[in-house]
Amino acid sequence: MKNDERRTRPLSASRRLFLQRTSLLSGMIALGGGSYLYNAKGAWAADPIKVGIATDLTGAISWGGIPNSQVAKMVIDDINKGGGLLGRPLQMILEDTATNEQLAVTKVRKLVTQDKVDVVFGGITSSMRNAIKDTIVNRGKTLYIYPQLYEGKECTPFLFCTGPTPAQQCDTFIPWLIKNGGKKFYLPSADYVWPHTLNAYARTVITKNGGEVIGEEYFPVDHNEYSATVNKIMSSGVNVVFNTTIPPGVAAFFKQLNEAGFQKKGGRLSCVYYDENALGITPAHEIEGLASCLDYFKAVNDPFGNKLQAEYGKQFGDKNPFTAGSGATGMYRGIRLWEAAVKEAQSVKREPVAKALDHAKISDGPGGGCEMVPGTRHVKMNMYTAVSKGGKYEIVEKSNGPVMPGECGA
Amino acid sequence: MSLSIVPFCFDVLAYSSIFVLVVLGLGVIASMMGIFNFAHGEFVLLGAYTVYLFQSRGLPVWAGMAVAPIAVGVAGLVLERVVIRRFYAAPIVAMLGTYAIGLALRETIRALLNGQFYSVTAPLIGSFSFGEISISQWRTAVIVITAGVMIACYFLLTRTRFGLQMRASLENPALARASGISTRRVYAATFAFGAALAGLAGGLMVPIYAISADMGVPFLIKSFLAVMLGGMGSFEGAIAGAALVGATSAALPWAIKPVVADVVVFIIAVAIVKVRPQGLLSKWRK
Repeated sequence: MKNDERRTRPLSASRRLFLQRTSLLSGMIALGGGSYLYNAKGAWAADPIKVGIATDLTGAISWGGIPNSQVAKMVIDDINKGGGLLGRPLQMILEDTATNEQLAVTKVRKLVTQDKVDVVFGGITSSMRNAIKDTIVNRGKTLYIYPQLYEGKECTPFLFCTGPTPAQQCDTFIPWLIKNGGKKFYLPSADYVWPHTLNAYARTVITKNGGEVIGEEYFPVDHNEYSATVNKIMSSGVNVVFNTTIPPGVAAFFKQLNEAGFQKKGGRLSCVYYDENALGITPAHEIEGLASCLDYFKAVNDPFGNKLQAEYGKQFGDKNPFTAGSGATGMYRGIRLWEAAVKEAQSVKREPVAKALDHAKISDGPGGGCEMVPGTRHVKMNMYTAVSKGGKYEIVEKSNGPVMPGECGA
Repeated sequence: MSLSIVPFCFDVLAYSSIFVLVVLGLGVIASMMGIFNFAHGEFVLLGAYTVYLFQSRGLPVWAGMAVAPIAVGVAGLVLERVVIRRFYAAPIVAMLGTYAIGLALRETIRALLNGQFYSVTAPLIGSFSFGEISISQWRTAVIVITAGVMIACYFLLTRTRFGLQMRASLENPALARASGISTRRVYAATFAFGAALAGLAGGLMVPIYAISADMGVPFLIKSFLAVMLGGMGSFEGAIAGAALVGATSAALPWAIKPVVADVVVFIIAVAIVKVRPQGLLSKWRK
């Protein structure tokens, strides 16, 4: 239907129109709704470049999806303010994947077939990435950028990962833990792919550095009773607990461990997804001394990161903070690297952008600049080790330059 | 290994207590009214949320714990009057109805919490130390409170006028009505009472688990298992079922892998139900 036809159509709703609309509405409700369109402000002569963001705004992973979408909005607005890309504005199409993989596939199919977006950013969990990647990359022939820290081994062409990998979270961190905790490690974990794969890598780094894994144990993801494990940890003289159990159960675990006197007896608690946001899960005294290793903490206190934080706080408040553990920093890097690639390629077509993105580089970002490692579709970046003191992180070690991702053959 | 006997017993007791507390409300509603309340986990969440609200407004946490059962009881009463009472004739529909209510409550609270997890500080912090052994103070308090609530419930159901009316309405509603009991009011009060117990459970356990929209979910299925195990129609049965499910859930991971333990709990329970389909304690009171 042409535009002028649409304007002259009678307003009274025919039965067919009514049926169309109700079926559309019920379809939207069935799909969970949650599509948002953000157009660039001002008048633009050129057609917009369409950026699809598919993330979990509702459901169990919304703590991560909300800041992801907000960072995306902030960066895209900023690019538009600076004149857009290739003289074209960016249009952001945000889809709520609602922590539901089946629904998400429908949503990204809409993005790539109906909206015909030029790039898709999103997904928080690995199960989400695995569910939507084929629809985006293979059937949709669209570029996909995944922002969250994850277990590695994702080497699909046209899929770029901008969050930290096991190598980045372990290579500097585990030697630090051995020096500042001890040699005996215990690996309590949730039973899904990320902990299994991360632990396998952590184990090799622990052994290589003269440490020893006393126990590696897996719990159902919604487990909330850890007394048996706490007792094993306390009775076997473990120095370092390298935790990959997840919320909400992790709160009960850390509490039981603290009440059993683990930290009081000199034990070191560590958890690589713990960012500033996660500090709220447990009372500060229960995780005193907890160590984490991420690509950014507020405590890094770099001028560029501080500026981003101030802008983010002004726009979105502090309910869903801009942190590394939710993939928000990966989202920032992803969009900026893609921006650099589009500028170099002078195109938004998938092949030339992917070619330029393969060696893209940004000089600034939260925690410092970063660059793609050619041929791997992963990013090398600075990593920081931080320790929780009185409910706040203090940076105790900065990596000596960017750390290699160690994925896809590099 | 002798050192770990005390923490073992304590932890099994502590987890069973929390579990009994959660199942009490569910058991009251299921056994007295024949309705499986799928919103029970969300009633627990509402109780926890009440306590969280008190803490975030700077009010004392213990006051929130005292208010939680009242607030959730009132919420339960409203839901019973508005929705549940329409479904007494169709228990399956009622079950689905409570599921919908639970989903709505959970997603509303998730939005209110911005999808986040928040800790709540217990009124009692730290542990009692006996040499090498540390016993959590708050878990000890939960054990004591659970025992108190169990005894109070028992007396309420067996020794008071309200308890008698409740049991009468369960066994023979027509005769109860003929004897001048308003079964309508009794059902409403029973449902509100069950909801209040859930609220109390949520309030007491939130310092242990932190608040998040999904906090009630892991308890729900095992709670149904406990009620089934104890036998429908008996309040003591539900408690016995809860104690057994709670104790095995906490004890098995000491011996076998936690992932396997979760399954074994169900196998044991189903085996018991097969041997005693009438429930563990179904003949005790009658």
